[in-house]
Amino acid sequence: MKLPDSLALVKAHRYKWIAIAIVLIALTALPLLIENNYIKHLLIMACVGTILGMTFSMLFSAGLITLGAAAFYAVGAYSSTILVMNAGLSFWAAIPLTLIITAVLALGFGAVFVRNAGVAFVIITLIFVQVVVLAVAQVEFLGGWGGIIGIPRPDPIGKVNFATKTDYYYLILAMLLLTIVVFNALYSSRIGRAWRAIKLSPNLAGTLGINPYRYRLLAFVVGSTTASLAGCFYAHYSQSITPGAFGGWLSIYVQLYAVLGGLEFYILGPAIGALVMTFVPEYLRIVKEWEPIITGVLLLIVILFFPGGILGTIRSPQALNMSNLQSLLKWLKVLLPHNKNG
Amino acid sequence: MSLSLFVQVLVNALTIGSIYVLMVLGLDIILRGTKILNFAHGQLYMLGAYVMFLFFQALHWNFLLSLALTGLALGLAGMLIYLSVFATLARRFTPTTTFSYRLLLSAMASVGLMMILQQGTLLCFGTQERGIQPPFPQIIDSFGVRVSLMRLVIILTSLVICVLLYLLMNKTSLGRLMRAVSYDPEAVTLQGVNTFWVFVFCFALGSALAGLAGGIIAPAFSVTPVMGQDVIFLSLLVLLVGGIGSYRGTIAGGLLIGLLLSFGFQFLGGIAELFVFMLVIVILIFRPGGLLGEAAG
Amino acid sequence: MVLLRIRNITRVFGALIALRDVSFEVNRSEILGLIGPNGAGKSTLFNVISGFHRPDKGRIFFKDTEITGLRVDRIAAMGISRIFQEPTLFMQETVFENVFSGFHRHYREPAWNAFLHTPAANREEAVSRKKAAEILDFMDLGAMRDELAANLPHGHQRSLAIAIALACGPELLLLDEPVTGMNPSETEVMIEKIRQIRERGVTVLIVEHDMRAVMSLCDRIVVLNLGEKLLEGPPDKIKNDQRVIEAYLGKQVI
Repeated sequence: MKLPDSLALVKAHRYKWIAIAIVLIALTALPLLIENNYIKHLLIMACVGTILGMTFSMLFSAGLITLGAAAFYAVGAYSSTILVMNAGLSFWAAIPLTLIITAVLALGFGAVFVRNAGVAFVIITLIFVQVVVLAVAQVEFLGGWGGIIGIPRPDPIGKVNFATKTDYYYLILAMLLLTIVVFNALYSSRIGRAWRAIKLSPNLAGTLGINPYRYRLLAFVVGSTTASLAGCFYAHYSQSITPGAFGGWLSIYVQLYAVLGGLEFYILGPAIGALVMTFVPEYLRIVKEWEPIITGVLLLIVILFFPGGILGTIRSPQALNMSNLQSLLKWLKVLLPHNKNG
Repeated sequence: MSLSLFVQVLVNALTIGSIYVLMVLGLDIILRGTKILNFAHGQLYMLGAYVMFLFFQALHWNFLLSLALTGLALGLAGMLIYLSVFATLARRFTPTTTFSYRLLLSAMASVGLMMILQQGTLLCFGTQERGIQPPFPQIIDSFGVRVSLMRLVIILTSLVICVLLYLLMNKTSLGRLMRAVSYDPEAVTLQGVNTFWVFVFCFALGSALAGLAGGIIAPAFSVTPVMGQDVIFLSLLVLLVGGIGSYRGTIAGGLLIGLLLSFGFQFLGGIAELFVFMLVIVILIFRPGGLLGEAAG
Repeated sequence: MVLLRIRNITRVFGALIALRDVSFEVNRSEILGLIGPNGAGKSTLFNVISGFHRPDKGRIFFKDTEITGLRVDRIAAMGISRIFQEPTLFMQETVFENVFSGFHRHYREPAWNAFLHTPAANREEAVSRKKAAEILDFMDLGAMRDELAANLPHGHQRSLAIAIALACGPELLLLDEPVTGMNPSETEVMIEKIRQIRERGVTVLIVEHDMRAVMSLCDRIVVLNLGEKLLEGPPDKIKNDQRVIEAYLGKQVI
């Protein structure tokens, strides 16, 4: 290797650690600088969204597209609620138990789902969310469509009694950082390389001795279990859960986070996407009814004109798809007189 | 269960089933022809019902004429959608773009469309239901079995559309071209055919089928902005059960789901839907490619 | 010593019999050529050996172990590497990462340790990185290790495909048309590389249309025609056989 290259590498490495340190300090100090409880709430929900978006990215890194990120999020929320409220466990004991339960469930369902890569997997995951929502709503014990209210806060640790948003913020931040560390360890190991190989060319990956089924199943189980961790937090944060909260647009928003931030950035992408999608509509003071439309338009704009998402566009601005924009305008001009038919 | 009730539920099942068949045939044509998983399909169905409402209820045109115009209008809408959104998207792909990436982006784009169309209709027309005066309100009563004529008309019309579609796909050169494109677009391109307009036609035809499904069902049920959301989930389910890329499987799957849901509701109530979902998962354990589809994903 | 034994393989696609009762053996450390006109079933046979297709009849043994109908990755893990006809690479990755990915089946440390990045697992990866660099130099790709695979010229993409396969450490390498479409000097270089690969102890089974290359490279040749084995023997015998010339009727042979 040439010397200047390795020097630059060492330098880039050092900058990376400095940047990470700055971000960590900023994230820790953030609640001390913010007075407004509503903004703290948005921050917390952005963290939850980031975790969910990261699970979508993990499956995408193995060439799987899920529309069911919310399914195991719901499983986690309900399972930890039941464990705390009915089995009388402490929140801190319920978390590992919930993770184990979800991992087993994800292994069972994933073993069936992952056999169908491609289109069928997308549809199955989408339907699975509906199944989970319907199943929960049908069971009286789980509160039916009305859901469960009065879920207790996490048990206090020392002086931290989770009476303020700040306490919750540090809890979700810890969960988020743990997830990032685990995911990063996976991506940078041979497991992550195997996922990438399967995504880029399943055939070639096979001839290299990689079993696509097993590695995809691993991604599914890890992703689902992580989503359930976010679910645990959400149930005890909002202190009430309803089946409706997990259906509908939620899974779609989750993948929007990943796409908007940048699909090729498995960790930073969902984070940026979730932050933007949580805060921008608030600051634009968008009327609630218009939000899905704005979101839909935003989604189309990103997909059509910013292929790499926000981060991808920053990294290589030339990828910005101007020719697409021009040709679209051309098409619109041609089509304008007929437009009333649509 | 009395005979009358049985026949009523059966007719109901066939009505719902035939709607799913039309929906899923449309989804499948789009998916196979253009490799787009169109999540906005349910909204096209909903728009079909609204267009039917406009022609038939507001303008008092003839039932069949209104229906034909509805199909045409939605076909045009589908064409516009393809040209403005998906054609633009397709231009971004290079030969090295992975299949999962193409699939993801086109599915995401259709999700964006779904949100826009769904909420847009909701804002324009409000949440209230709109009824359409059934053009065939008669009840056929024979041997104590009472069946609504409207439902029989729905089943019959769907059957006619299926037959026409079969003729289009198998007996015309356009149909053969569409099937060739769905197998190997590059080979078709090499033969000097401009595949672009075949893609456009596939999308337009699929959209027209969704519109027809919405237009036919509109007189039997009421028209609401959210009607598309329920139907898309079950349509995707039918697509899975029948097997992607199998027309016979689609028809079998549509009727099967229709029967299961109708009789399930009759005996079990709301939990029936859940059982149907479970059944589908069981089917997928044993037949990963669907009942009649090819096992390869 | 026999490395790969192919016994009575038959494969049918609908009404088309792609392979009918094909049997032959590949000896250790030889270069065996597989030739035949278009549609003779050569690529199908490769797909059957490497596990992409299941044979309808017949059995395949590798080092006296039956591999018939095993999954692609199981067959690869036993030591059979296969190059596709169209360069199949991880197009959006760099040249180095492509080869590095090829080491997947060599890791002995459990996946759990790789995830935890234990020192032993890290050492193992460092060894793979070093070996990957060596393989790149061997295939003359060292200068473009940080290029994206998609940006390489066609000839280099072929070399890269072979480099990835070598990273797997195969005992048997299946090459599908490695020099087709190359100019004579490129072909010469590639032939020399394949000889060197054999000298490293890798057995090579090669499908190729370029007769001059096949004749100069192979120790033995198997001729397929319309899915059946026509002939088997050393290049000199094949070159002058009337049946082979008839099979290629209308095509220039040599």
